Amino acid sequence: LNHAEQALHNSLPPFSPYVPASLLPSIALILLASTFVLAFYFSTLPKDTFPLRETAVASLASVLGGFGVVALFCSAGVNV
Amino acid sequence: MARRWWTLPLFLVSALAPSFSLAGPAFENTAIVRTIELGGSLVHVSTTYAVKALEPGQTTYQIALSKVERAKTSWLEAKVKGQTTPLKLSEDESSAEYLLSISLPKALAVNGTLNLVLETMQTHATHPFPEQAAQNEPQLLKYETDLFTISPYTTLVQRTKIKSIAPNVISYTTPHDVDSFVRDGSVTRSGGTITYGPYHDIQTDTDFVAKHQQSVSVHYSFDYPVIEVETLRRTAEISHWGSNLNIEDKAHLHNAGPTLKGHFSRLEYQSQNFQRKQAPHILSDFTLHLPPGVTNAYFYDQNGNVSTSHLRTAPSVAKGSKAVQYSVLQLRPRYPVLGGWNYSYTIGFDTPLQDSVSYDAKDGVYMVGVPVMTPIPGTVVNDAEVKIILPEGATNVKFVSPFPEISNSMSTHISYLDTAGRPAVTFTYKDLTYKHTGTIYVSYQVPLSAHLKKAVSVSAAFFSLFAFAFMARRVNLNLHKK
Repeated sequence: LNHAEQALHNSLPPFSPYVPASLLPSIALILLASTFVLAFYFSTLPKDTFPLRETAVASLASVLGGFGVVALFCSAGVNV
Repeated sequence: MARRWWTLPLFLVSALAPSFSLAGPAFENTAIVRTIELGGSLVHVSTTYAVKALEPGQTTYQIALSKVERAKTSWLEAKVKGQTTPLKLSEDESSAEYLLSISLPKALAVNGTLNLVLETMQTHATHPFPEQAAQNEPQLLKYETDLFTISPYTTLVQRTKIKSIAPNVISYTTPHDVDSFVRDGSVTRSGGTITYGPYHDIQTDTDFVAKHQQSVSVHYSFDYPVIEVETLRRTAEISHWGSNLNIEDKAHLHNAGPTLKGHFSRLEYQSQNFQRKQAPHILSDFTLHLPPGVTNAYFYDQNGNVSTSHLRTAPSVAKGSKAVQYSVLQLRPRYPVLGGWNYSYTIGFDTPLQDSVSYDAKDGVYMVGVPVMTPIPGTVVNDAEVKIILPEGATNVKFVSPFPEISNSMSTHISYLDTAGRPAVTFTYKDLTYKHTGTIYVSYQVPLSAHLKKAVSVSAAFFSLFAFAFMARRVNLNLHKK
């Protein structure tokens, strides 16, 4: 009933992830360590009226943390 | 073309006539041989029709199945004998029977012959008799079928062979009132094979069926446990970030052999194991063949992890190539499953996503192939449901099943780090056998933004923590003014 789809599926190239699965634990470690360091740095920043530096550090830490948590989940076996 | 003046009008009349008794002289069966291989929950029937065309240009041959037989049949396939490609068939139901119309590969000329094979798999066709058996008693099953193979055309000679794997057949019915069709004996037995026939010059019209059709039964011994999987729930979850396909099966096994008479004696069970003469109706272990490249396999039931299992993995093969070696998983349920007992368990495993998913870069379309089930040898699955969970944000979902499903539906499945939820496609099937091992193909598209949604949602959570910290630093909680 699905011979055409089977032929198409066999002929197309296989899936390749953006990030190879074997690198995910190392990436998780690096990104989460960076998030931790940046969060600590955020806590030492002076309290300015225009919080440019605080926002910049917080945004960078959040982005790294977001990708780090996704990589952490995948390397722990919970493939999200 | 036609030698006799009445051939063409007769052909037109027979084309208009109702198909049961006057499918007419378009074909003649020179021989029909029906071979029934008896099993436990599965019975394999293979019927060979040696067909001779009486009219020119015939492209469709009709096979009849009685209503009772069609209800038991869960898989059928028609082929030309010796070839492997199945022929196209369509089904019609009339008041008395089912008619399968088979498209012949090429039109037959007058007096042209062809051998057609109809293979069917019957499920729930046997029942244990006696219905109860003690732990050390043999397992005896009974199978019933109609004596004559019905056909819309005249049959010159037909026979039915019923084969049991074990040579000891307890009893079989002797047909009555068949002397007009018989030249030698009406039934013979040779070891485990019982042959009904040969019966000559049969025309199975309504009068014949009312007068001569009868039910014959065979009472035989079966040396393997009769297992039915009452429900099977398969979930296949695709992860693009983890490059992983997780397949999880939740099964409820039922031993459909004779129910246990008396109580279960562990001593009796151990002594049987020691003497290597275990009773045939006890299921103590079974083997599954999983795809190559399996990792992270787990086997648990309601009580927790079941450690009595052994997995031998085979190395991963590329997508689409035929697997040379399968991963072998030997499972031993927590307790031996005796007649009438049930056992529920969950097994699951991970396979690399590149073995199952292909990517068409031109359209950005992914296609995944998920096997319908991993068959447990010799069992029937009464009710199966396959749910394929696609990544979050998958759109343009198209799917096709290898054989007709009872129903299909789309739903949303919510899992870890999801915001909107993942689309899931669910198929339901019934009465699956080892002949129903096919692959479901689902194609979908996932834009890059949907992939990044996960990381962005976690980032937003982190940022909200930082925003809270930002405000908390500026709040003075000192009790005394400095």
